[in-house]
Amino acid sequence: MSESSATPLYEARNISKSYGSVIALSDVSLKIHAGEVIGLVGDNGAGKSTLVKILSGVYQPDNGQLLVDGVDHSWKSPHDAMQAGVETLYQDSGLAPDLSIGSNVFLGREKLRPGILGKLGFLDQKYMEVEARKDLEKVGITIPASKRNVSQLSGGQRQAVAIGRAVAWARKVILLDEPTNHLGARQSNEVLSVIKAAKERGLGVVFISHTLPHVLQVTDRIVVLRLGKVVKDAPTAEFNAESLLGTITGLNGAKVEDDDSESVA
Amino acid sequence: MSTKVAESKTSVGNASPEKVPTLLSRLLGNQQFLLLIAFIVLVAFFTTRNSVFLSNGEFSNIFADFASLILLGVAETYVIATGGIDLSVGATSGFAGVVAAFAMRSMHGGEALILIVGFVVCVAIGALVGVVNGILMNYAGLVPFVATLVTLGAAGGMSIVLTGGAPIGNDPSAIATTISIIGPFSWPVLVVIAITIVAGLFLHTSRFGKYTFAIGSNEFASRAAGINVKRHLMKVYVLSGVLSGVTGMFFYLRLGSGAPTSGAGAELSAIAAVVIGGASLSGGSARLSGTTLGALILTTVTSGLIIMNVQPNWNQVAVAILIAIAAGFQTLRPSKRRK
Repeated sequence: MSESSATPLYEARNISKSYGSVIALSDVSLKIHAGEVIGLVGDNGAGKSTLVKILSGVYQPDNGQLLVDGVDHSWKSPHDAMQAGVETLYQDSGLAPDLSIGSNVFLGREKLRPGILGKLGFLDQKYMEVEARKDLEKVGITIPASKRNVSQLSGGQRQAVAIGRAVAWARKVILLDEPTNHLGARQSNEVLSVIKAAKERGLGVVFISHTLPHVLQVTDRIVVLRLGKVVKDAPTAEFNAESLLGTITGLNGAKVEDDDSESVA
Repeated sequence: MSTKVAESKTSVGNASPEKVPTLLSRLLGNQQFLLLIAFIVLVAFFTTRNSVFLSNGEFSNIFADFASLILLGVAETYVIATGGIDLSVGATSGFAGVVAAFAMRSMHGGEALILIVGFVVCVAIGALVGVVNGILMNYAGLVPFVATLVTLGAAGGMSIVLTGGAPIGNDPSAIATTISIIGPFSWPVLVVIAITIVAGLFLHTSRFGKYTFAIGSNEFASRAAGINVKRHLMKVYVLSGVLSGVTGMFFYLRLGSGAPTSGAGAELSAIAAVVIGGASLSGGSARLSGTTLGALILTTVTSGLIIMNVQPNWNQVAVAILIAIAAGFQTLRPSKRRK
């Protein structure tokens, strides 16, 4: 594997995490470069969601380092990661359904009113509704009215808002955990084109999905997790649908191998 | 009229055409509006039964009852918006009133100064109970129901232990403050109304309020969005405690003494006001205007039954029926919530 000379946008080094006696992740390393889409795949329980939550600051790893632009960061909370330009779309649960679209887009980063009212914590709700709409449009998502509550949207629209929020705020990296889950074919294609647009903006993207054709379609590299370990990290061109599935399940003879000895399956 | 074309160029998801609700259907779907109608109908009904009902004296009674209920209703609205519940508000108000009464009884000085000290003590005791609630939830991992059940018992029990069950103090200057000054309103009632308005604006237009609803709507999403959920919940329960403490002072002013049982059971009336006001007990949606109307309706019915010479024990039954009607309306209305 040829080492990229550039410093990765975001790098995870030797990450381990266990819950009691259950080892969720063991010595996992991952590099994300600017303008690169990484596919993160693995069977249920392989540790994908745990890894995403460590990368996004929701969980803290037991061991290992997280580096943004080569600088060591340890997130104490998701807020830290967001401040550093890392945005995350969580599987199914990233939005507050009782809040408006605008409030969701600005959740945790509310715009306060100018002057004394702002100092007292009062919100510039109108600004947020207008800007939310613009932000989402910028990433190719048009919503009916940003005043509307998320609970009134269809599943596809909700997912669009969640992705739009992540892409609109991201300055470096976006982590997308199952963004095409529960979506129809047309909607999934829209999501994939949003990912491509993010890549063109120079963002690093981590795309987690069970839908292997999607992974093969949009990613540059694929990292395969099995039982908490990285079993393969290779350019997407080295995979086809069959070999990828085999690597995930471990049923085509691909063994857990060290990074330096990997070969095309 | 041309039908409104769906403005959605929605790139993702189905562009379902918007239904334009008529004014009438919008009003009928609005819980606040229905509550307002119910309130007016109730007042009209009780007035036809006994014209005394519309008198200043009776209204000043209703507003005094309303004021002691709405502060706890405000507290409960914030807490319920986060998806929690605070069972300790009533006991805390009684406890705060008792402790403040001890403090005031031991003081010498101007009447106003003594009452101000009493107020500060009430706020401090309320805040203390709120902090204990927060600690029990955030650090001992108790759910709100259990944590506040603990403080309900502790505060209620302490009030009895400290007082031996008898009211503390006999303060005519306190009672004097509750004389109506503008129409049916006494100044404590006016203060309570002011607090309620500010609390409503704060809940619905501030970042604090936004986080309150966000946590009740989806706690994980709130945490993931960078909100410090534990810290915010601590603040909400402290706010609830402070409002309970202020209610304790209000009880003291009305009674002229710190009565250990003055807030007993008040938490249930407060929760009832919130539920009648249309809040979801699972969190994320509540309106303080709804709670206010809920509290007004509850106090109107209570006073109305008295004025109609209905045996007071029917009161609880009436409240129960109101809750059932309000809850029934919520399930009958077309659900805005899609899971």
